[in-house]
Amino acid sequence: MSTPALQLRERLPRLADEALDRARLTVVPRRRVRAARMPFVTLVSLILLGGVVGLLCFNTQMQQASFAATQLEAQSDNLAAREQTLHDDLQQLRDPQELARRAQAAGMVVPQTSCTLRLAAATTQGTCAPATADSTPPLDPRPPRKPAVLDPDPVVVVVPPAAGAQGQGGRHDQGGRGHEGHHDTARG
Amino acid sequence: MPRNRDRRPAGRPATAVVTTAGRGSRRGSPQTRLRVGFVMIAMVLSLFGARLVQLQGLDPGSYAAMAAAEGTVDVVLPAQRGDILDRNGQPLAVSIDGLMIVGDPQMTEDKAPEIARFLSQKLDVDYFAVLKRLRGLKEGSRFEYLARHVPSTLATDVIHEAEDRGYEGLSTRRDAVRTYPSHDIAANLVGFVGTDQPYGGLEEVFDKALSGKDGSERYEVGAGNRIPLGDNTTVPAVDGQDLRTTIDRDLQWYTQRVLRQAREASGGSSAIAVIMDSRTGEVLALADDPTYDADAPGESPVKDRRARSLNLAYEPGSVEKVLTLSALIDAGKVNARTELLVPGELHRQDRVIHDHWEHGLIKLTLAGVLAKSSNVGTVLASDRFEPGQLRAYLAQFGLGQPTNVGLGAESRGNLPDPSVWNSQIGDRIAFGQSLAVNAMQMTAAVNTIANHGLRVDPTLIQGQARRDDGMEIGTDVSSTRQVISKEAARQMTLMMERTVDPEDGVAPKAQVPGYVVAGKTGTAQRVGTCGTGAAKHSCYDGTNTVSFAGFAPAQNPRFTIYVVIQAPTIAGAGGGATAGPVFSKLMAYALQRYGVPPIEKKQTRLPVEW
Repeated sequence: MSTPALQLRERLPRLADEALDRARLTVVPRRRVRAARMPFVTLVSLILLGGVVGLLCFNTQMQQASFAATQLEAQSDNLAAREQTLHDDLQQLRDPQELARRAQAAGMVVPQTSCTLRLAAATTQGTCAPATADSTPPLDPRPPRKPAVLDPDPVVVVVPPAAGAQGQGGRHDQGGRGHEGHHDTARG
Repeated sequence: MPRNRDRRPAGRPATAVVTTAGRGSRRGSPQTRLRVGFVMIAMVLSLFGARLVQLQGLDPGSYAAMAAAEGTVDVVLPAQRGDILDRNGQPLAVSIDGLMIVGDPQMTEDKAPEIARFLSQKLDVDYFAVLKRLRGLKEGSRFEYLARHVPSTLATDVIHEAEDRGYEGLSTRRDAVRTYPSHDIAANLVGFVGTDQPYGGLEEVFDKALSGKDGSERYEVGAGNRIPLGDNTTVPAVDGQDLRTTIDRDLQWYTQRVLRQAREASGGSSAIAVIMDSRTGEVLALADDPTYDADAPGESPVKDRRARSLNLAYEPGSVEKVLTLSALIDAGKVNARTELLVPGELHRQDRVIHDHWEHGLIKLTLAGVLAKSSNVGTVLASDRFEPGQLRAYLAQFGLGQPTNVGLGAESRGNLPDPSVWNSQIGDRIAFGQSLAVNAMQMTAAVNTIANHGLRVDPTLIQGQARRDDGMEIGTDVSSTRQVISKEAARQMTLMMERTVDPEDGVAPKAQVPGYVVAGKTGTAQRVGTCGTGAAKHSCYDGTNTVSFAGFAPAQNPRFTIYVVIQAPTIAGAGGGATAGPVFSKLMAYALQRYGVPPIEKKQTRLPVEW
């Protein structure tokens, strides 16, 4: 148990020491100001999350676009093919032979002579005559000649008018003989 | 739990020792275990290492390729074959997208008759041929062509309908379709493309330029769709070049129809007509008859699919007198009014030369010799040539050399070599026998007169194009040369006008109303075959080649037309009577079509007799 005086004595030098200590210059560590961690972490997380989600969306979008592109390409191929086919049909219609066929069906002909009109002088030049069909060539070749077997000469059978035979019986007889003759020709 | 116990802190050694000792008896010492473990890990790692060396060291390429092939699609991007067009851009041959239909016999075998019936109804294929293929031509076959060159819309429709009907095993591949929208128009010139390769005509000669170069595309797919950021390489296809010809399709059509009409009416075996722009040498129409439909070439015999106008060499006959006499005028030996005493027949070394009509001694001018087409008169006049002069002139006119107008297998004709040339041959050549030409050579030669003595190379291609054999041809590279003087050409033109004179000439039917025409007929003995079997040889077989060459309007020619009909069978067939009217129709049509106004000018009165 210590007396209060002792206590004081003991304390005084201590105080002085402390003051002394305090008065002495010492190196202190720089005080670090630490920002709050929470907002930063949140921000980074958000950016990461946003990036991932964005990338995902972007990817999905691209896939969608790819699907659409594939489909549109197929459609475009299809339409191009149709266009070509229609164009081909058009060309068949523009074929000179087809045009000539329609023109001739409408009664048109190729003119033989030409006639020039001089509007200023109000005169004509050349041979001005109505067109005839002479210069219009036939559109199709002559049909090929059939072999004799398929195209026999016509058979002429002269039947003297029989005194007794007439009416149905006579006609029947004539037909029969004609038929026979036809066979003979074919064999020959 | 035992592991946890192993890791106990060292503060309790007694327990640890006991535990370790107790278990160690079963597991062996830690060192042993470590070694065993290490060896095992090393073995596994060395396996990985070996595999790594195998993959990366030995054949990395093929593995990379295998990896890439998984899900990678390789597509050939077919180059579009170039079109063949006429001078106005109208198509003579075009390519459209097409597909082939192929079948897998393993899948189609069961329903073969139904599928065959379906396909033969929808497409232009034979039921029995398709049936065989559907059942497989070979045992175990998994791929058979069912239909080639089907327009793609039609093929797609057919495949969809087949799917709806439950027919399996049909699929399509790309296979372009070549169509000839005007069928037989210029077919002999254009040629055609068969199932896999072109045959004849421009299609064959310009195959490389027309075909272009196929491209390729490689990309990755997933579930049938292209993967956006996957591997992706594209080599674009280089489409074939279009080939623009100098042909006028409508004029060509008219020429072919008129020519066919004339050949059929005259009973000729074949016929040729050439229409040329006199000034430029551009061929506006080149017609052969009989011809064929380029869209269905199989229906016509092979000989009708060739261009006789270029491949056929024949003796031109009297049309050639134009060249002989204009050469004589150019050489200064004669002029149009030179007076000749022409006997009825002329005895030369080996044979007697006659005219086509009976006559005694007559007095003809040179113009009369041409207008009446006198062989005797021509031979008498050509006696004035220096040795070798006629041949040199004819070579200048382009005879005996190919015109290189564009098609392959062109005949060069036959102009006898100086070494075999003798006076008899010279006499006959003077009036157009004993030498052979093709129609294009002859047209270009006569066109020399029309073009005031300047010969222009005939051309079929507008601009310039390279043949597969490397030759550049076309209007841009054609050349010209002065063969006879302008004055000689003028005199010859006047003489040729007399040919169509109703009184003095032999071909009044070749006149064109409203225009002055200059021309010349030809009726040549034609070479055929005589004898049979081993004794077969070439000889004049009694048939003729009748022809007419001319140009109009005479003083300022726009078109040169040459018409040839081989072996007409009707009585009275001749250059003037048979080929003349064809010339007249074609010339009238061409002059109208190109808007050449009629010219008010009197026919020349150049005397034919003295």
